[in-house]
Amino acid sequence: MLELLLEGLADVLAFKPMLAIIAGIMLGILVGAMPGLSPSMGVALLVPFTYGMSPMLALVLLVSIYIGASYGGSITAITINTPGTPSAIVTAIDGYVLTKKGQAATALGVSIVVSAVAGVLGTLVLIFFSVPLAAIAVGFHPAEYFAMALFGLATIASLAGNNWMKAFLAAILGLLLNTIGTDPISGADRFTFSITRLSDGFVLIPALIGLFALSEVFTAIEKRDFKVTALDRLGDSWPRLCDYWQLKWVTLRSSLVGTIIGIFPGAGATIASFISYDFARRLSRKPGEFGQGSIEGVAAAEGANSGSVGGAMVPLLTLGIPGSATTAVLIGAMMIHKLTPGPQLFLSNPEIIYGIFGAMLVGNAVLLGVGLAGSRLWVKVTVIPKKVLFTLITMMAVVGSFAVRNSMFDVLCCLGFGMLGWILKRYDYPLAPVILGMVLGSIAETNFRRAIMMDGGTVFFSRPLSAVMLALAVLSFLVPLLTAIRRRRAAPASAASA
Amino acid sequence: MTERNTATRLFLLLLVLLSGAVAAQPQPLPDAGDFPRQPIRIIVYTSPGGLIDFTARRFADVARRHAPDQPFVVINRPGGGGIVAFEEVLQQPADGYHMLAVTRSNISKLVATGRDELIDRIDWHSYIMENPHVVITNAARGAQDWDDVYRLALGQRGRQLWLGADIGGVKHVSGVKIARQAGVQMRWIPYSSGGEAIAALLGNLGTVYLGNPRDALLSEDLRVVAVAAPARLASFPDAPTFAELGVPDLDNEHIWRGFAFRQGTPEPVRAWYAELVRRVSEDPDWIAGWAGEGVALEYRDSARFTRMVARDREEFSFYLREMGLLREPGSRESLLAGIGDTPALYFLQVILVALNVVLGLFLLRSSFRHKFGELMILSVVTSLAILFYVMAGALPPPSPVDTVGAKGVPRLWITLLLPLALYQSWLILRRKSERISGKKPLLLFGFLGFMTSYILLIPIIGYLLASAIYMPGILWYLKYRRPLVVGGLTAGWLAFSWFVFQKTLYVDLPTGALFAGLLR
Repeated sequence: MLELLLEGLADVLAFKPMLAIIAGIMLGILVGAMPGLSPSMGVALLVPFTYGMSPMLALVLLVSIYIGASYGGSITAITINTPGTPSAIVTAIDGYVLTKKGQAATALGVSIVVSAVAGVLGTLVLIFFSVPLAAIAVGFHPAEYFAMALFGLATIASLAGNNWMKAFLAAILGLLLNTIGTDPISGADRFTFSITRLSDGFVLIPALIGLFALSEVFTAIEKRDFKVTALDRLGDSWPRLCDYWQLKWVTLRSSLVGTIIGIFPGAGATIASFISYDFARRLSRKPGEFGQGSIEGVAAAEGANSGSVGGAMVPLLTLGIPGSATTAVLIGAMMIHKLTPGPQLFLSNPEIIYGIFGAMLVGNAVLLGVGLAGSRLWVKVTVIPKKVLFTLITMMAVVGSFAVRNSMFDVLCCLGFGMLGWILKRYDYPLAPVILGMVLGSIAETNFRRAIMMDGGTVFFSRPLSAVMLALAVLSFLVPLLTAIRRRRAAPASAASA
Repeated sequence: MTERNTATRLFLLLLVLLSGAVAAQPQPLPDAGDFPRQPIRIIVYTSPGGLIDFTARRFADVARRHAPDQPFVVINRPGGGGIVAFEEVLQQPADGYHMLAVTRSNISKLVATGRDELIDRIDWHSYIMENPHVVITNAARGAQDWDDVYRLALGQRGRQLWLGADIGGVKHVSGVKIARQAGVQMRWIPYSSGGEAIAALLGNLGTVYLGNPRDALLSEDLRVVAVAAPARLASFPDAPTFAELGVPDLDNEHIWRGFAFRQGTPEPVRAWYAELVRRVSEDPDWIAGWAGEGVALEYRDSARFTRMVARDREEFSFYLREMGLLREPGSRESLLAGIGDTPALYFLQVILVALNVVLGLFLLRSSFRHKFGELMILSVVTSLAILFYVMAGALPPPSPVDTVGAKGVPRLWITLLLPLALYQSWLILRRKSERISGKKPLLLFGFLGFMTSYILLIPIIGYLLASAIYMPGILWYLKYRRPLVVGGLTAGWLAFSWFVFQKTLYVDLPTGALFAGLLR
């Protein structure tokens, strides 16, 4: 295997593949950073340009775009609180707070380095453990998917801070909004008010842009906060090697969480980021910093996000099954180049498989270089006069929401979510739980009902993995909740005794 | 003499070579006036990666060779099982620049959702291929052949799991027909994509996956055990047909793919496409690309295609009604269409809005006015929950298989939300009043007004003009008074959005109804 891997690396270190990797990473970063364009759209847009290329070169280019786009979403999340991709929501939670404190360079530095390291770790897991992991992934029962979704929802406790009640209400609002659209099992239209554009529910990207980016603009305008944040000197705030070293365990953990969750078809990078963030907070020595500008929080989110790329490639390469929307496009691209993804590809075209592995390793190294160079440019976004920046964000929100489906309805939804976000923020409701509910609601519901249809209601407890995961989900929700309640009760008592 | 013969032979050879070279050049397509002048958009109703998306991209690739210098762009418009894509094409002018990639699934979905009027508004232009539905098993861990499936089904007594696509879809209908004809009882487990269902089959979570022949190529563990076609497939010679297995009337369960336009597309443009699609269908690369995938390639013209669609519409109406997924004829509303627009619902909405207004006015005039915002959030959320709870009553009831039903989970969330909202309201009312700043966010309201007007103006005067007005306008409103910077930014943004979105990504930025009307 090592010999094949070295051959794969040698193949991609030639002039043309390197050019494809650099171009792919740069394009991918732009696609990821542009709200409204997803990694899958980026890869799909580039497929026609690969017709004249060799299959190997084409896949190197497309995989590089995937890697770049998965990272790119964090740039706008950190600098202007506009997650370019749904998985970058969690990065925005602490990343944007750091920017507001003048430490955008810290957040950007951590995000690019952790992304690249997690990308490499995810690729190594893909190379060495893909076959056994794929076997586990396909045997995952809907009951276990449901338990995983609940586990993800339990992270509300981490996102809540002191406002657990409001966080819970916000999450249920997200879950309720998620039920709008075609019922995933019966096909019935639910709460669509006969609006065709609602038949698939609210599209996530306009909702994200509205809730995060527009609400931030509206809040700042309400407070007439047009002061440009004094940026720390780049030399002071740029993380040093020792800062990265302190994040080694968070990086390792989040990469593994991202890779493993990425393997399960339909789960994806967003749920991985939330769960990784929750883990990081629980295991952190400074849990109180989470949500207030924690670099561990940024690392946990970005590590899981980039690690999930390697994970999503596991079912694609070993079984020919897409683990994410982007890998579905990659399957199409492979077929256009007359390659049938799956186990036989390892036998018929090992040079392609190991070429992809090589491209993912080299691609992450290139991502590090391009990202580090680019971050010094992105950080300048924060010195743009606020009035200009706010106007540009609203313009980007409009065109980005429109671009998803060529729909003005989505633009209006984006504005609506912006107003909702502003109102909720005004009264201290956290926004991330709303999105968490919107992302996990359908995974939870579909798999809950599918599991019961397959094996009845007892299946959640009769399957050991499902039972353990459910118990962990309940515990991870209740423990912080009960601790918070106890602390709240203890606070007046100690105040009285003082 | 010999020299003359040699010269004649050389001349003839040259002639043959020349004629060969001429024949190898793409022949011009029929004259359609100045069509095409702009990129042709192929609208696909699924996300990137589905089989129809793959078909459209492969078609675009081959079509470029027959229409040199003509860009073909594949655009994905998923949503509503294809309804979003259909509506998008119907909103465009009937000029032939928006081509809809269609499958038989669209017919079942349109019938199931009660939107079958869309079928009549579409010009079913060209049929290009079909493949039969096949029964696939996990031979490594489950049934080895159809007899195994049958035997297991008898033992499982109605609990055999067949994995596939959505309820009421073309494969679900085929699955029901196959099970009925074969005399087996099965439970249809819908997955959101074929990939997820195949993964579940590989994980041995079901006995059968009903899909396309090419799905079986994904893994060596997968085996085609029965084919719903009149003859065995060349690419799967070991897989028997249902007729061979002694199961009658299952020789035409299939899915077709083709292209359609908005009704009213000019005849010369239709002829141009007919010739293009015919040539692509005969292209050796196109044929070779589908080899071994169990697909029957054949170009059929609009008249034959339209007749097929009409037959399918009747068939799906019949079977979906029989499966309990449609109401009786005469009722416009299908079970899948919800209650959306019933007068009772409007009445409830009006009542809830009125209650919120009254509550808001009361709060503003009471000693709780400092808690107005917080309480109104909870009131609006509670009203929405009540509205959804009532609307859920019109959803299909739980069935013996789907015991939770479409209303179960929304009602669960509502049941959790209502007591929490009440408790939170009680906490707010109990809390001491904190005097918050009474300053009204007038600047923000103005900003929101500007932004809303901008969004509403886009469909009327077009994106570029609306943006050209909005950008300097909003900067002026925010008191940013540097004309050169504002002018440069506006011009830069317009150029950026035009080049990146319109020209590179083929996002059709709205041109505005006003100008479209003037140009007409």
